[in-house]
Amino acid sequence: MPSNNTESSPQMPSGPIETTESQEQAPLYTPPRARFLEVRGSVGKYESALLGLVGVIAFFGIWEIFHYLTPETQRKFLPSVEQVVGEIYVLIVDKGYMADVGKSVYRIYVSFFAACLLAVPLGVLMGSFVKLRALINPTVGGLRYLPAASFVPLLLVYFGPTDFAKLALLFLGCVFFLIALILDNVLAVPKEFVESAQTMGASRRHIVLRVTFPAAAPQILDSMRNMIAVSWTYLVIAEIVAATDGIGAVMMRAARFLHVDIIMAGILTIGILGVLTDISFRIAGRVLFPHMYARR
Amino acid sequence: MGTSFTSKDHIKRHTALEQGRAAGEPPIKAERVTKEYVGGKVVALDDVSVEIQENQVTALIGPSGCGKTTLLRLISGLEYPTRGSVQVYGQPILGPGPERGMVFQAYTSFPWLNVIKNVEHGMGIQGVPSAERRERAQHFLRLVHLDQFTNSYPVQLSGGMKQRVAIARTLAQDPQLLLLDEPFGALDAQVTWEMEEMIIEIIESESKTVILVTHDIQEAIYLADRIIFFTRQPGKIKADLAMEFKAGKRFPKKEDLLTHPGYVDMEKQLYQMMREEIQGRVS
Repeated sequence: MPSNNTESSPQMPSGPIETTESQEQAPLYTPPRARFLEVRGSVGKYESALLGLVGVIAFFGIWEIFHYLTPETQRKFLPSVEQVVGEIYVLIVDKGYMADVGKSVYRIYVSFFAACLLAVPLGVLMGSFVKLRALINPTVGGLRYLPAASFVPLLLVYFGPTDFAKLALLFLGCVFFLIALILDNVLAVPKEFVESAQTMGASRRHIVLRVTFPAAAPQILDSMRNMIAVSWTYLVIAEIVAATDGIGAVMMRAARFLHVDIIMAGILTIGILGVLTDISFRIAGRVLFPHMYARR
Repeated sequence: MGTSFTSKDHIKRHTALEQGRAAGEPPIKAERVTKEYVGGKVVALDDVSVEIQENQVTALIGPSGCGKTTLLRLISGLEYPTRGSVQVYGQPILGPGPERGMVFQAYTSFPWLNVIKNVEHGMGIQGVPSAERRERAQHFLRLVHLDQFTNSYPVQLSGGMKQRVAIARTLAQDPQLLLLDEPFGALDAQVTWEMEEMIIEIIESESKTVILVTHDIQEAIYLADRIIFFTRQPGKIKADLAMEFKAGKRFPKKEDLLTHPGYVDMEKQLYQMMREEIQGRVS
């Protein structure tokens, strides 16, 4: 058994430890297997951005190649990238396209906001109270399997070719998924968070609003980001039927006259708006939840 | 440090507990407690009666699945017994309460709050005014050596630091009982050792009644005044040992305990008990 009589440790040689003679650093080490496809390999921040850019350029490049491979007489069915981009410009300048884009954005955001207004409280409550979950979850789970498009005839009968019918379709397209996702987010909150709040004497109200909800909030925002993307995919369906405005309506009109370039311009617009939406949700996440991005 | 509660329910409960305490009721009295799981297939605790003494550190120890954590959870009010009753200062336990503060094995500091807000959280629930909250939080952060990290978020902290936050937060709610459920189970050996010495420091300065669940024999002997050893399935008390060899002494340095007369015998006795319990069982 070691004795405990030594208060001070034995003397270490004083002064800085001698390193190599020269101040030069050792040469960079190259791992033996730095392959492009390394399982779970690593990628730098700039390298990642560069690769992403290469992917985007490749996509448009392949599109362009296919355009030129198409026989000249058929080329109007696969317009080139610059024709589509040019068409967006023409649409904006000559045909009041921005009003249509604005209308579509309005429809997406209003319907999605309404869906969140229902889904967030419901999901949080269902995740917090097991009996409420047992009551509601089977119904919501079933409704999720109904294709949104199947509501179109029903909504037309109920509301006619109104704006409300389109908002309702977009709402129905994402609300049930949103509830299910948010429920999962809440269920993923560690039970010890709730239990430790209980041992602090927290009320049910406090636990739901001040513990469970903030604990799940970053993941809830993530679910919203994923579901608004789905909402964008429903836009054209919502605007196909008896719509006079919106990106989808513009595309449907173009289809009647085989204006493929306008249709593709519409698709590209939705893609760009989708990416912008995604980015804005990511920024919102950084602003709302600084603790998720705190420097470690 | 005294607390000024503003919430009515808390004041009422607090008064009842203080009366029980003045009448000489023990902090915890478990009477003939049985806890069954899976419809009686698992008997985590079988007719266990025990009283916890004021201002003592009691360690509940035993092999995995012996019901030590179950007893702590019954005391915390997070679970209820199948038979029998558990009382805190003579009051029946009807659920969790702030007078029984608990530190969990899992990290429970809230990631969306910085360190000081975490520590203030329990006091906020009890309605402690914000100025007093801040002051008390700073006091307890000094006690757990985290006063340099008041504005950090838990993700920026190591596992040991997260447990320090949890301990400070629990102490700040001014509990009469401190329930520690394997609080260092997720930490590595060196950090555990530092934390154990910190707990000694805290017990010395705050004089709390502590109930500690652990599977670590050395830790139990180091921290506890009394060790209750549980058997596994059915969970019964195998031994109730007073750490008399320490003569009421607490050792700021753990190595001083290891060379203290009587320590080795106690450790050996507990190891032998543990061996008896796990013999012939594949874990």
